[in-house]
Amino acid sequence: MTRILKITAILTALLVAQVTLLPPRLLDPFKPDLLLIAVTYLALTGTVRFGGGVAFLLGLVLDCFSGQYLGLNGFSFLAIYLVLEAIADRLYTDNLYLLILVVFLVTVLNGMLHLILLVIFSVADGVYATLLPALLPQGLVNALSVSLLSGFLIMKGAEDEK
Amino acid sequence: MRDFLRKYRLQIIAGVLLLAAFVFYSLNLTNRGHANAFERGVQTVFSPIARVVAKVSGGLSGVWNDYINLVDVRRENKELRESVKKLNTRLLESTEAELANERLKKLLEMKTSLKLPAIAASVIGEDGAPWFKTILIDRGRADGLREGMAVVASEGVVGQIVKVAGNSSRVLLISDNASAVAVVVQRSRARGVVKGKGGGRCALEFAVHGEDIKVGDMVIASGIGGLFPKGLPVGEVTMVKKGEYGIFQTIDVRPAVNITRLEEVLVLVSQNDD
Repeated sequence: MTRILKITAILTALLVAQVTLLPPRLLDPFKPDLLLIAVTYLALTGTVRFGGGVAFLLGLVLDCFSGQYLGLNGFSFLAIYLVLEAIADRLYTDNLYLLILVVFLVTVLNGMLHLILLVIFSVADGVYATLLPALLPQGLVNALSVSLLSGFLIMKGAEDEK
Repeated sequence: MRDFLRKYRLQIIAGVLLLAAFVFYSLNLTNRGHANAFERGVQTVFSPIARVVAKVSGGLSGVWNDYINLVDVRRENKELRESVKKLNTRLLESTEAELANERLKKLLEMKTSLKLPAIAASVIGEDGAPWFKTILIDRGRADGLREGMAVVASEGVVGQIVKVAGNSSRVLLISDNASAVAVVVQRSRARGVVKGKGGGRCALEFAVHGEDIKVGDMVIASGIGGLFPKGLPVGEVTMVKKGEYGIFQTIDVRPAVNITRLEEVLVLVSQNDD
């Protein structure tokens, strides 16, 4: 129970940071998608049970604060979770560099899924002109965020060991 | 059959889950202009947290800025004394101008036939993805807000409300790709539609080749559709391209409102509850 509350608190903090704290301080498209990073981490480590459901729910929650299409992030987060979960046992998931690389690739994949779903089903003509140029910077920013976060956690772990 | 199901169990479950998520997304597409119970619930739970965090974050920024300001305070003090003398002179002039402005404003108000009730709101969040342009404001259904209401700032049009929860709402900005506003060019009265292009940019579409539109022209709401009051500034023309072929011109418009620095907005409360 404590663990669930802890994970919920962390995910809520990430959402608050992504929606309220960071946007006034960072320019588009250099705003990290912290929830996507969380989904990637959960999928690679298998930290929670029913991770697919959690990923879908996180996507829906993000949809409540992003765009106007409920289910867009829900679908893409679930798809990403299922793909990563399927290949996680073949990867050396303890490696920090792998996590950084996967986060970058996942950001691009997430953007492409959004693009496909928006182009086919929505009336937002020309969304590709905004989305495609933003993909690479967002991927790099997400990768940078995950490396900073991991670096901080490693330092903290080393201090705790001392 | 049973062996098949057993063998491909994981793939089938994954497929079913993805299909369900996809169906959920497609079903919600028709209702994207309104917040459903789930969205309202999440926004209601989240908005008090966002409000507190935004306030605390603003306070901390203020404290930090005050500290930085203290570093050069002595030198600044001398400079300020000098500028106070100059400003005192200007103050007298500006007081006169302000009084004149007040009088003119009252005159203008008398001339204004249409009066719209408005509610002030603070921006407490921005869109989570860089390719969508929405903001979260701290007013909702409890304050009388409804989907489709116009949102403006002192400089002009901001966007319209797309999702309303109890105490918060989401505003689709005019720079979002899904946004469109019927406009006229103030100088030549040429008509068109300003559509969002993302990244704080807009474009004036459906302006036919022969229309007289120049860089620097102000673009204002035409009032067609009844969402935005006629005459409200939408933006300024920054680029006009007339190709040799084609019916329409390619025109870039810079929004009148600096969306990246938006802190307070006005919601025009229309009586239409549709």
